[in-house]
Amino acid sequence: MLKTLNQKVSLILIAIAALYLFGAFRIPSYPYAIVDADVLPKTLGVLLIVLSIFLFFAKDSETEEQKKRRDIPKREIGMLLGVAGLILAYILLLEVIGFVLTTALFIFFCSFFLGYRNHVANGITAVVFPLVLYFMFTELLSITLPSGILPF
Amino acid sequence: MGSLDGIITGFQTAFSLEAILFVIIGVFVGTIIGMLPGLGPISAIAVMIPMTFGMDPATALIMMAGVYYGAIFGGSTSSILLNAPGVSGAVATSFDGYPMAQQGKAGKALAIAAIASFTGGTVSVVLLMLLAPALSSVAVSFGPAAYFALMLLGLTAIASLSEGSTIKALISAVAGFMVVTIGIDAQTGTQRFTFGNMNLLEGLDFLVIALGLFAIAEVCSLVLNRKDKSVKDTHNIGSLKLDKQDLKDMSGPMTRHSFLGFILGVLPGAGATIASFISYIFEKRLSKNPDEFGKGSVKGLAAPETANNAATSGAFVPLLSLGIPGSGTTAVMLGAFLVLGVQPGPMLMTDRPEIFWGVIASMYIGNIFLLIINLPLIPYFAKILKIPRPLLISLVIVFSMIGVYAISFNTFDLYMLLLFGVIGFLMRLFSFPAPPFILAFILGGMLEQSLRQAMTISNGSLSIFLDDKIALGLLILALLSFVFPLLKQLRKNKEKAAEA
Repeated sequence: MLKTLNQKVSLILIAIAALYLFGAFRIPSYPYAIVDADVLPKTLGVLLIVLSIFLFFAKDSETEEQKKRRDIPKREIGMLLGVAGLILAYILLLEVIGFVLTTALFIFFCSFFLGYRNHVANGITAVVFPLVLYFMFTELLSITLPSGILPF
Repeated sequence: MGSLDGIITGFQTAFSLEAILFVIIGVFVGTIIGMLPGLGPISAIAVMIPMTFGMDPATALIMMAGVYYGAIFGGSTSSILLNAPGVSGAVATSFDGYPMAQQGKAGKALAIAAIASFTGGTVSVVLLMLLAPALSSVAVSFGPAAYFALMLLGLTAIASLSEGSTIKALISAVAGFMVVTIGIDAQTGTQRFTFGNMNLLEGLDFLVIALGLFAIAEVCSLVLNRKDKSVKDTHNIGSLKLDKQDLKDMSGPMTRHSFLGFILGVLPGAGATIASFISYIFEKRLSKNPDEFGKGSVKGLAAPETANNAATSGAFVPLLSLGIPGSGTTAVMLGAFLVLGVQPGPMLMTDRPEIFWGVIASMYIGNIFLLIINLPLIPYFAKILKIPRPLLISLVIVFSMIGVYAISFNTFDLYMLLLFGVIGFLMRLFSFPAPPFILAFILGGMLEQSLRQAMTISNGSLSIFLDDKIALGLLILALLSFVFPLLKQLRKNKEKAAEA
């Protein structure tokens, strides 16, 4: 039944559309609006289902190059997850230990993790870049970034 | 005459020391980001938006416009030197630019690209100065029904013109629209899809979407291609000199495609990428010896480079005069306007002449600086391509996160950024184009608002869309651009089924 990729993707999209529509039907109505808040969401949900059905029956139009993009070696998936993990760590630490430290650590370890082995250049970038950004934002643009445990 | 005063105000703004400084910064950053393979103009603009906080809107927008056309201008460098286009608008540039570089004439190719870009960029600004005010004065009379229809046309046009499957592009647009319904509805105050989460009440910020779908998703692709070692031969690019024959060969395509590119840029949905491809094909058809195309033809290089830059100025016509972007990139530009509290549209020319004309006038200066950056200085700039990929990846991630954090000071938005990065990457893997998504996200709120205004005027009757002749015409166009590709696809399916 589910032979083509389009069919699989289409079913996932229909499921998303169904969830969205479920939400759309629970939007409370407001008596004085000519176009109420739920009109557009309902239309969009239905539209997505219709388009997904079209996709279900559509022949594969991808080029070889586009198909090749999905051949990701397992090791590379690990790399992507690793970078995502580092980003998560960054978000968690940003407001705790501050922008400068978090950013410096992130740049150094993320570059190292991705295979950059020039430690001196990496270290210099990791220190200078966050400092320049920090002072640019706080002094020139008057946007306060979390200073964290550093005294400035 | 009011508009003459406006033009003078604009030139005064653009030629102030501050504006010149920021247009230089803009085109400089644009060139660099445009040059880096994988990072396109949308990322460039989105990354720069936080830098404009607190700036004078006119100066900030002059800089942002510089980032945009600078990115298109700079995109040619990596197309020619690495055969890895920095922006999609420069893909056609690589067809003849890279073969030329392989023949040891990289310098010549870069010079042709720079001169063609400059010509396309400058001629089209003249056209922009003529067309934008004309369109503005027409658009002043547009009612909400016409606006609704116009935006709908913009969305269907971008979907039917994007590369690959139209259905996927339309799905992408619907998804973008769905995301924008998250939050408190502006008119009724009803909460939609907030799941009781305080952070979702105001909806998602467009920078989260733009940086996630583009910058972070591009980072994922960079991670996968980080070992691309093609960067080695950038130090010796050969002579930049062109002889008389080259200039003679270039003059024809440069004239033609300044106009063609501009017109394609004005049309909704088209933009630099499509303009460059159409120009390339057009020039090849026109040529007496089409065989030399793809092997380092001067004409084949000059045509798309002129067209993509001309299209960039063309894309400013609907953005400035209607307030409606026609492409993903101009959608993010519109976001930049809105962040600065400026609403582009038919009133912009009369209400804020320093912005309307200032941005346009600054393009002359920007193009001159781009010519300087991309011609005599290009051997030095090309060294940027040697930045180690791992370091580049880390820096782009940090830029994106700080950009998002600086608007809300809330780490919730950073998680959302990561989420949309993943969505953007999945969309790439399964060939769903992202520009319709961002365009729908930007237009979604305006679309709903104009629908409501129209329906309020007509007291709830849909007949307003039939009575308003402009709206009716635009709606028919939108319907056609929506239905035709779907029918074509169905017919293709049948043919394939018949073959099998």
